[in-house]
Amino acid sequence: MVDVREDILARLLEVVAGIPNLRSAHRNNVDIPEDQLPAAIVFDGDEETNDAIDATMRPPNRPTLVTMTPEIVIAQQADEAGSDITTLRRELIKRVLYDTELNEQIVKTGRHGNGAIRYLGCQTDVGWMRSLHGALRAQFMFKYTLKPEDL
Amino acid sequence: MIDYSDLLFDPVYGELGVDAVFTAAGTAGEAAITVIDDTRPKALAAGSAEVRSVGPGAFARIPELTDNGIARADYVGATLSFNGRAWTVRSYELRGSPNGEDLGEVRFLLKEAASTDG
Repeated sequence: MVDVREDILARLLEVVAGIPNLRSAHRNNVDIPEDQLPAAIVFDGDEETNDAIDATMRPPNRPTLVTMTPEIVIAQQADEAGSDITTLRRELIKRVLYDTELNEQIVKTGRHGNGAIRYLGCQTDVGWMRSLHGALRAQFMFKYTLKPEDL
Repeated sequence: MIDYSDLLFDPVYGELGVDAVFTAAGTAGEAAITVIDDTRPKALAAGSAEVRSVGPGAFARIPELTDNGIARADYVGATLSFNGRAWTVRSYELRGSPNGEDLGEVRFLLKEAASTDG
């Protein structure tokens, strides 16, 4: 069994857990107490194909291309929440886009296959709690081949 | 006219108030006042997640502040110590009173004493 979607998400959690100075890393945890900050949370992404417009005679169990857009949240509460978030964002983007396992073994980008990894952008949230709170939501796009026979 | 300080605020602060020390920013002068701890649970959005913490705050009576020589311009940046913790006043909101805002309360919005604006 090979589930590329799950492999990507599991690897993303390992990648973000390796970012220096993070106190915790989570997957789909929507309730983070302040003593676990700075934290990174990987949220499972939506998946899309173009198969809705593919009304050919192609058998339904043939491989198809899928794009998934997971979101990664980085949250911090500190004196320097703004610059802290900037530093963590830099590490996040670099580590995801350069990760060898994601590029070569799971998604198979470039000369390894027809997959792709893209950084789509980010949004920020700020507010006051015990000290200044900052959060950054970053979206990535993963394009990969879904092979029903492998599931 | 009802005197809200005599009939409402002073009895409430007598029951719920705690001793506090107010130190205006950039001064060594301290004033002993009474505040009501108004630290509340607070959650903020972090994308699909919520981060849970507290929003520290404290109520004080404006007449007591005025009697101690504390003007409105002294609020922001002051250090307020009570219940075993030290906080910095990052902002405030006036609560007013039927006797006029100068006889009402102020709610200090606090942050950890070492915290800056990041």
